[in-house]
Formats: sequence, C-alpha cells, structure tokens
Amino acid sequence: MIEKNKKTGTKGKDAARIFKRYDDLFNCSRCGSCTAYCPVYKNTKDEAVSPRGKLSLIEAISQGKMEFTDKLSEKIYTCTLCNYCDSECPSGVKITELFEEMRQDLIDSEKYPGALDFLKRRLGEAYNVTFDTNEGRADWTKQIPDSSPEDFIKDTAEVVYFVGCVSSFSPRTFSIPRSVVQIFKGAGVDFTLLGDDEWCCGFPLLSSGMKGEAKKLADHNIEAVNKKGAKVLITSCPSCYHTWKHEYSKISSKKADFKIMHLSQYLFKLIEDKKLKPGPLNIRVSYHDPCDLGRNSEVYDEPRKVIESIPGVEFIELEASKNLANCCGGGGNLESLDAGLSGRIAESRAREIIAADIDVLVSACQQCERTLAAALKKIKKEAKRKIKVADIAELVFASINAE
Amino acid sequence: MKTKDMKNLKDIAGEENVILSEEERYCYSYDSTRLEYIPDVVVRVRNARQISDIFKYASSEKIPVTPRGAATGLSGGCLAMEGGILLLMVEMDKILEVDPVDLLMDVEAGIITVDVDKEANKHGLFYPPDPGSLKYSTIGGNIAENAGGLRGLKYGVTKDYVNALEAVLPNGDIVNFGTRTVKGVTGYNMVDLMTGSEGTLAVITKATLGLLPMPPARASLLALFSTMEDAAKSVQDIVSNGVITSTLEIIDQVTINAIEDYIGLGLDRSIGAMLLIEVDGQQGAVDAEAEVVMKACRSNKAVSCKQAASDQERDEIWTARRAALSSLARVRPSTILEDATVPRSRFVEMVEAVNDIAKKYDLTIGTFGHAGDGNLHPTILTDMRDAREEKKVESAIEEIFKVAVDLGGTLSGEHGIGISKAKYLKMEIDPASYELMKRVKKAFDPDNILNPGKMFLD
Repeated sequence: MIEKNKKTGTKGKDAARIFKRYDDLFNCSRCGSCTAYCPVYKNTKDEAVSPRGKLSLIEAISQGKMEFTDKLSEKIYTCTLCNYCDSECPSGVKITELFEEMRQDLIDSEKYPGALDFLKRRLGEAYNVTFDTNEGRADWTKQIPDSSPEDFIKDTAEVVYFVGCVSSFSPRTFSIPRSVVQIFKGAGVDFTLLGDDEWCCGFPLLSSGMKGEAKKLADHNIEAVNKKGAKVLITSCPSCYHTWKHEYSKISSKKADFKIMHLSQYLFKLIEDKKLKPGPLNIRVSYHDPCDLGRNSEVYDEPRKVIESIPGVEFIELEASKNLANCCGGGGNLESLDAGLSGRIAESRAREIIAADIDVLVSACQQCERTLAAALKKIKKEAKRKIKVADIAELVFASINAE
Repeated sequence: MKTKDMKNLKDIAGEENVILSEEERYCYSYDSTRLEYIPDVVVRVRNARQISDIFKYASSEKIPVTPRGAATGLSGGCLAMEGGILLLMVEMDKILEVDPVDLLMDVEAGIITVDVDKEANKHGLFYPPDPGSLKYSTIGGNIAENAGGLRGLKYGVTKDYVNALEAVLPNGDIVNFGTRTVKGVTGYNMVDLMTGSEGTLAVITKATLGLLPMPPARASLLALFSTMEDAAKSVQDIVSNGVITSTLEIIDQVTINAIEDYIGLGLDRSIGAMLLIEVDGQQGAVDAEAEVVMKACRSNKAVSCKQAASDQERDEIWTARRAALSSLARVRPSTILEDATVPRSRFVEMVEAVNDIAKKYDLTIGTFGHAGDGNLHPTILTDMRDAREEKKVESAIEEIFKVAVDLGGTLSGEHGIGISKAKYLKMEIDPASYELMKRVKKAFDPDNILNPGKMFLD
C-alpha cells in the first residue's frame, strides 16, 4: 500500500480514496455504451475523455499501473458532470461517485488543473466565483422599475430567493433575477434576498473535488436563511438547487428549517394558486432540460406545466429531452478548462434545437441559456428562423405583462 | 518503434493526430472483452490515402497495424496484440450519399450504425441489421464482424446489406469491390470475403449499404410459458405456419429473475421462458401474422399471450428485452456473454445443455437471445479476478462450444473469433478448410502485419 502511495505521489498518510474502489471500477465491462451519451466524447472522439476511458485510467491507478499525472488529470476534469453516463450505464457502475472520488484524490495530490486555484482562492476570500467583491452581490437590483434595492432585502420573510453567483454578477443574466423579483412582487410573495450575505452555494468546489472547502459556505448559507425565518428557499440556478437539496445535508451538520425549491416549481405553485395570471404569447416553444435540474434532480414536469399554462404557446418536445436531454456544455467547470470544447458541445445541442423549428427555446438555467444563445447565434445560418433563448422566469414575466 | 517511425506518421497524418502519451494509448488498449494490449502509437486517420501511406511505410518496416472503430467488440478484434500502430477510424464518419431510388447509402466506415438508420429513416427507409451495440459501434466494425442483431431471421445480418466496399490492403493498395446493382457476378465475391474477416485481410474505409422501405405497420407480442420446451415448440409452430417474424426473442428463467431483481417489471418469477415477438409489414399481413403467432403460443400451453395495444405497451415489452443483459450484468462483477449458435430446431437441446453445464461447474448462467434464428446468448455471471472461477468458466465455455458444434451449430453467431475463440476454431473448421483460410490470409497479408494474432493461433 505504501509502495503504491510513493508511486502515485499522493500526499499524507491516507491512501488515495480510489485505491479502495477497485470492486466498483471492475464493474465496468468496457461495453462502450457511454460513448453514445457523453457530450465530451461525442464532440472530441477522444476515448480518454469518454466515461469508459476515464474509468480505465482510474482503474489503472487503483491497480498501481499508472500514476497521477497532469495529462491524466486533464482528461479526468474534461467533463461537464451531466451524469448522462451514470444514469444509463447498463452495468450500474457508480460513475459519478467514482469521478468525484478521483477528483478529490487529484486535489489532495495537487495534480489538478491550475484554473481551479483561482476558484479556490476566490471562494475562500470573496465567497463568489468572480473577480468582484461580494459587496456588489445585490447590485443587479438597481435599475428595476418602480423600486429601489432596499425593497428586496428584509430582516424576515416567508421566502428567501437565492440568486446564485452567475446571475448576481453576470450582466447578461441579470434579466433572470430581475424577472423573478418582479414576478414575486406582482404575486404578493413575502420574500427577501440575502444580499451580501449570500455566499456561493459551493457547487464549483464540490464539483472540482474540494469538498472540505465547501463546508464553510454551506454552514454560512444555511444559517443565513434560518436567520430570516424563512419557510422556503427558492433558487433559479439548477446547480445551486441540486447542491442545496442533495449535497448540503452531506457536507453541513446545520439543520435547514425550510423547504428547498427550484424557481420553476415555485412558479408552477403560484400559477396553480392563481397568484399569477399568464397572458397570451403566440409562440412555438421548446424546453431544454438543464442537467442539474432534470437528470440530476428529476424535476421535469413543473417547468413544462408552467410553459403550457401560458395561452397561445405551442409546446414542441425536443427529440432528446428529460432524462435523455443532451448537455449544453456549460457545466462541470469545463468552460474554464476548455472553452472551445464547451462551445462545440453547445453547438451540437443547438443543432438539435434548430431541428425543432421554434421561436423560443426556454430553459431554467442561466448557464444553459448563455451557452445555447451563443451557439444558436454562431450557427444561425443553419436555422429556418431566428430562435430566441429565454429563461422560464423571463418567459413568465413576459406572459404576465402580455395583453 | 523508433523516433523516425513516429516522424513519418506525423508527416502522413499531421502531428496533432499522432497520439503518443502513455495515458491516451492506454485508453486504446481495450475493447469489450476487457483484454488489454497497449499500442506503441495511435493515429487518427481521415481518409484511405493516409491509411495507404501508413501501410506502405509499415510494410517496409514490418510494423504491425491494427484498425479500431468504437472498440465495442466481444472477441478482441481491434486490440493491438503485437503493439505497433493503432489506426483510429472514428473520425471517418461521414454520410457520402443516399440514393433512395436504388435503396443505397454510401458511408465512411467510422460512422456509428444508428446514424445510418436515422439517415435512412429521413427517406422512409431503414437499415435492418440491429446489433445490440448499434448506438455506439461503427459500420466498419459491424462489417468486419458481420454483426447480427434481433432482426436476423427475417432480415438477415450485416453481410446481406453490404453491396460494395472500399478498403486498404496491407501493402497500401486501395481496392474497391462490389456493385451498386441488385445483382452482380464480376470477379470473386470479395465483399462477402471481407465481411466478417475481422480486420485481418484489409481495412475497410467505405461501404455502400443496402436499405429497405420501412414497413408501415408492426405488432408486438409477449408470451409466457412454464417451460422452455413449450416456448420452443411455439417458435417452431410459428415458422411452420408460414410466419417469419421480424423479431423472436427468448428469455429464460434465470434472466427473468435477474430482471425482476433489478427492475421489478412484475414478471412471474416461476415462468420458465418468455417470448418477445414482433411482426412487421403491411397492416393486413401484420394482423394475420399476429394471429398466427397468438395461436401457436396458445396451442403450446402459453400461460399468457398478449399483443401490445399501444406504443407505450410495445415499449414496455422491449424494455424487458433490453433489460436482460443489464440485469444479468448487475448480478456478479464479470459478465461473460457467449453467442454459440445452433439451428433453430435444436435450440431447446442447446438451452438444456447449457443448464446442465451450469450445474456441473456450479456457475450461474442466464440464457436469452434470438430464438428465431437459434443464436442464443448463454451469459455466465462470475468474477474473473478469481482464478478458480476463471478456470471453471473456461471449461464451461469449451463445453458449450462442443455442444453447439455437435448440434450442427457454430461457435459464434455474431461476435467473431478474434482472440477469444481462436483456440477453439479447429473444433468447427476441418483441417483442409482451416489451412485454406490461412493461405487466404497470407495472400492478403504476406508479412502478417495487419492485426496479427487473431483468428489463427498458428
């Protein structure tokens, strides 16, 4: 065992986690069916980044046949964490879990891509994934008509709207949270933001394999929401949603005294409770299931019900949808490691969207929206008509303001 | 291999297409047999000209060359047994031409099979061969292994749909065989020789595939039986009453129980065998054929025989079939899928023999497969890391092969010989024929540089 540690250069006295997972790794029969699903493989035809290829490398390490190298690390991290492979593997290999363990081992052995250092530093110092300080976190609330930023932050409220780093800091996505707060205001929802007290949910750390660093963020965020006395936490970002709903209980010992919902689920509730009255939009619409909301959290119906509640909308189901939806390329930190590949994955999905011949592509994730909008623009000559991309919040906001 | 070899390859294929890192080469060392042979270099190729240049060089330097598609084969066909150059064919995946009038499609060999079918569908046509791996295996691989599938009885296998081929020989010659006509007898039938040659005679670069009009209607049926025998008799009766079904799958009790353990479809675990049947064609014919199927099953003591009344019910039936292998795969760490095939009239004896062999070696073997054409998949559930298990499995497999051959069958219906079955080939092929095959190999590849180590052990 010590011999293996020396060869692979893992730090510390503990053997790397992956050495204990040989049985799970051996379950992979190398059948290759994951190569039909993996967006990274499909857009590179590089076996080393297919799930099968990654598992073979991880298994080789666990058998002492290979070392932790930069090249190997690069291949392991070339992944959007869409989890299509895990969900469809005929042999039931615990692919997601094994990839997570491997990433943690690479972090421990300091063999991870340099770009992740920026992430770690920023999240440790500023609690967000951008170059900004966290004091500007609620700046997007400026310039919302008929309101001022103070309107949106209260000491206590029934509902906390957790915006997430991207929508808080990326001007291109401001219209999402702006739509959300205006919808909530119009529906009389008793809600508040956390403002500067909102820290990154920790997803970028968890997905990189830096589980330990994420605990501080989780503890803080749960406390912050508890302090508001809120009964419901709502987020418009699927990765934040997945992290809150499925990861926080694993990394934080703090108890969350509130329900956790994605925006699309809450919008559906508001519509059902007749707090929102959707007006007509005469458009052909398709919905792209974000991986972290759809496949990874199994929320498929509410976003569709929200869309279908809008009069005049013709809903076209994309050929690859729900648990079989293809990734937009925006996840798993891939964009920061290989922007070109991320873009190509988005283009592949954009082609599937073009085939549906629609007016508006709706999603429920600011990442999906951004990458797909850029891709659709890039290949617009291939489309019969111009396709707009809208978040479900933007769609609903447009609908309640329609005649 | 030497530095100058790598330089030559870089000149031919472009530096970025020559893969030398240990990590990446390792990922090209396996296929679905889980055997591993690491090549010295992997080259992404994009056309026949590059492959030809590589072979010309490799021939002069006596460097082994092995072609690889999606590496989902079950006999080791694309593994670089003697190292050397691995030709990665996956970038050659274009559709070149579709001819809906003559029912032909020209494709590059690296195209994924399901993409051929999808393209054909756009024209109201389909590509009949449907191997289990069709969503991720390449046409080139399918042709090299003469891949089968569920539709074999009615529609045939890959070889029945390969009209013409372009290939590169080990000496670098680019050759073309076959015709675009329905019939043709000019020169030897090289297309049929190369189909199923397992990448040992030439590297296939292009194929002209035959297509058929999509049948307008289909019906799916599910029949349950107390015994395998009742199911088998139903199969014989269906055929003797004049119906050739497009699919006629059987699943045994071991497999049914594995499916129930894993998915829980609500199947009765005491059922001896399940038949999943599909008929297709014109609506009138489909209705008539479905009735014949029902009658045959019922008159052979089917516990139940139901026809799917909707697309959803049809999907449920086929979910059960698709779940067969993945359910079995979850029982033990290793899943050894064999495909010994017998004439349809002997398949009950085959299944009984497999069950006896399972008892003899104390192994769990689930059998499912294509009852219509006798191509069964005895699937051994084991752990090949255990030396004792490995030995038992080897012995069991050898006995399964013997039984198949004794029953007038064959070692492999679909998966090919490759590395896995090379040592058993002489069980089935007589000495004179075996030697002739070796002379054919020598005629194509005098220096034995193309995919060495496969098919013939000597």
